[in-house]
Amino acid sequence: MAQCTLKPDLEFTREIARAGGSSLKKCYQCATCSVACPMAPANAPYPRKEMIWASWGLRDKFRSDVDIWLCRNCGNCTDLCPRGARPADVMAAARNLVYRDLAEPSIVSKWMGSASGLKRLFLIPAVLWLVVWALRAAYNGQWFPRAADGRIVFGQIFYGDYTIDPIFMLTFFGACFVLYRGVRKLWEMFRPQGELLVIGRTKSWIFHLADVLWEEVLTHRKFDECEDGPTTGKAGPNRKTGHALLFWSFVLLAFVTAVVAAGHWVGKIVPVIHIETPMPMTFPIKILANIGALLLICGLALLTWRRLRLDPEQHGSGFYDWYLLGILWLVAVTGIFSQCFRLADAIVPAFLAYYLHLVFVWMLFAYLPWSKLGHFVYRTAALVFVRMYGRS
Amino acid sequence: MSKAILVVGGGFAGLTAAIEAAELGHDVYIVEKSPWLGGRVAQLNKYFPKLCPPSCGLEIQFQRIRKNPRVKFFTMADVVGLAGSKGSYTVRVRLRSRHTAPHAVDFNLLASSLVGEADNEFDFGLSKRGALYKSMPFAFPDRYVLDTPTLSKTDATQAERAKFLDLSEQPREIELDVASIVVATGWKPYDVTRLTNLGAGKVKNCVSNMQMERLASPAGPTGGRIVRPSDGRTPHSVAFVQCAGSRDQNHLNYCSYICCMASLKQCLYIAEQNPDAEITVYYIDLRAPGRYVNVLEKVQALPNVCFVKGKVADVVQAGDDKVTLTVEDAVRGEKLTLHYDLVVLATGMQPSLAGENPPLPLPLDEDGFIAGGEEAGIFAAGCARMPLDVTRTAQSGTAAALKAVQTVKGR
Repeated sequence: MAQCTLKPDLEFTREIARAGGSSLKKCYQCATCSVACPMAPANAPYPRKEMIWASWGLRDKFRSDVDIWLCRNCGNCTDLCPRGARPADVMAAARNLVYRDLAEPSIVSKWMGSASGLKRLFLIPAVLWLVVWALRAAYNGQWFPRAADGRIVFGQIFYGDYTIDPIFMLTFFGACFVLYRGVRKLWEMFRPQGELLVIGRTKSWIFHLADVLWEEVLTHRKFDECEDGPTTGKAGPNRKTGHALLFWSFVLLAFVTAVVAAGHWVGKIVPVIHIETPMPMTFPIKILANIGALLLICGLALLTWRRLRLDPEQHGSGFYDWYLLGILWLVAVTGIFSQCFRLADAIVPAFLAYYLHLVFVWMLFAYLPWSKLGHFVYRTAALVFVRMYGRS
Repeated sequence: MSKAILVVGGGFAGLTAAIEAAELGHDVYIVEKSPWLGGRVAQLNKYFPKLCPPSCGLEIQFQRIRKNPRVKFFTMADVVGLAGSKGSYTVRVRLRSRHTAPHAVDFNLLASSLVGEADNEFDFGLSKRGALYKSMPFAFPDRYVLDTPTLSKTDATQAERAKFLDLSEQPREIELDVASIVVATGWKPYDVTRLTNLGAGKVKNCVSNMQMERLASPAGPTGGRIVRPSDGRTPHSVAFVQCAGSRDQNHLNYCSYICCMASLKQCLYIAEQNPDAEITVYYIDLRAPGRYVNVLEKVQALPNVCFVKGKVADVVQAGDDKVTLTVEDAVRGEKLTLHYDLVVLATGMQPSLAGENPPLPLPLDEDGFIAGGEEAGIFAAGCARMPLDVTRTAQSGTAAALKAVQTVKGR
């Protein structure tokens, strides 16, 4: 038998421990977790093998492992783990580490790694939007201007054409570019060595993506499969409803944003579809936007409540988890406050809330490739890859 | 002042401690909660190290008790109170009513004519027993027990007329003066209903290792034929699930020490009765301490026994009353879902005192094992102290007897 030498990378083990997998050394490889997981395939199931890779610090094994992306973090494995090694947390920590490696520049991931980097992450957009505000205030002659008819119009300060839209478009496409490179890198890491011979018909990745979106993302079907594992005797609060609410609120709000942007820019050429902001409260798009905000709040409340109820001895909640929940709450709350203050004609709080809203929305999108929210791209990419290479 | 020694528990540890102390010339009282002496060993088919039937070792112990007037024992008895201090204890013992005459009466004919039935706890629910019963053929004391709640109406009138039965016998309390105490309260099989992912005791033909001992025992419910409890058919495929509850912080957070050897022993039972049966043992680590490795090697050499590293984490009912297991073969990295005719859960040993509130001033550790008490002249022996096999249980009984004698005599 060929000999193989393992080179344990203890630094990697420590990194996983810091990223939320501090319990990994308790594992004694009984393989309960692989059975506890209803998603783990029969061939080379997870997370037992990941647990020993983590102990040994086998970084390369993790980088090429699609399985950490198949895990939906339901926590069955942790519930049944006889040693309290918390495989679910180790898998989540491994994902966090991969986010860090995937997205460039990596300095952002360093800031994202812990609460101490939060100040920098906040200051960048805070200064950016303050500069915009100051410039426009200088141009307008006042910090809290009113429109000619006396209404509060945020566009007076944060003027769409020259400030918000270009900055957000840059941010958005920048994030897309970083994500694109991340996905390319991810697939490159997954790709098996040597040539893969496929017998029979193959589908293009586009069709696989459509399958993933339909069968897993839109329907949230896998969340139900998570419940199919062995009876753990421990009732875990279900995440499906909260996650689905959040997902659909994102879809709705993205749609609304796209419509408004199209109404604004295309409306310059085709005046019929021009949309003026602020939209009246009875305008269909406005109604949709407010429904989206409501769904967002409901989803967030459910997920936050669930996370607070988790037994910290069993399921850890790390900085990555709280960062995402926190930023989403801030986006939702400042957004709703901006609208309420604007309607209540409280001009100073309205502008302040809107300013903060812009800061947090920018944080959400600009740091997306490094944050836990990146999972919606990376996981989808991994799931597509899994289908292309026939592991499910 | 009394110089007697109290031994709580009449299993292998307690018997050994009592006999050793008595044979050194000390008065000993044994207080046993069940109707007979012998403890868990009496329920086994065979026991280590020589794989002899329990009657073999227990008969010798019983003989030594019969011959030694210094040993007095109470069955169906519980310690309910303790006063005094090291060297001078007064122990209150409650004696439940047995309702049968104090000498060996053969109730066989009467017992079989009664119709009332209850689950036979001695067989772990694998059989029924009548109201008037004796759980094992070599029972000591050789007396029946009448369990009055099990009597049917007609049984009751019959029992009232019976010459050597006393339905009106009341429980009573006695006081014993002793100088030192040996606590040998032993163990209980871990409660399978708490193993939710292993079927919680609701899956047919998924038995515990102690039930397996009863199935294999000639005095057991099947006369020693190892069959499926559901239909009495000989199993062609059998799986052993090791560490069913042991080494698990959600259940027993320690290794129960005996289950690996118990399963290996049971492999031998099955192979002896049905050499064609396919047996698989699923384990995390196989622990064959000391010379027991010989037994492991013997079982490994059997053609139809295979060992798979991986803990079974899911047990469900399959069609035809088979049992489906799911386990990852951790060496090959494959998740297996397999059907078996019979599955044995190698459940661990939990100290009898776990979850109990014993009226003795004993410090228990978080698992319920006795941890200390020596300064009070109270000494733990056997599985009340830690999981042990029979050999080491006997040794710990002797050790506790020695310490009790030292306490009585003064150093």
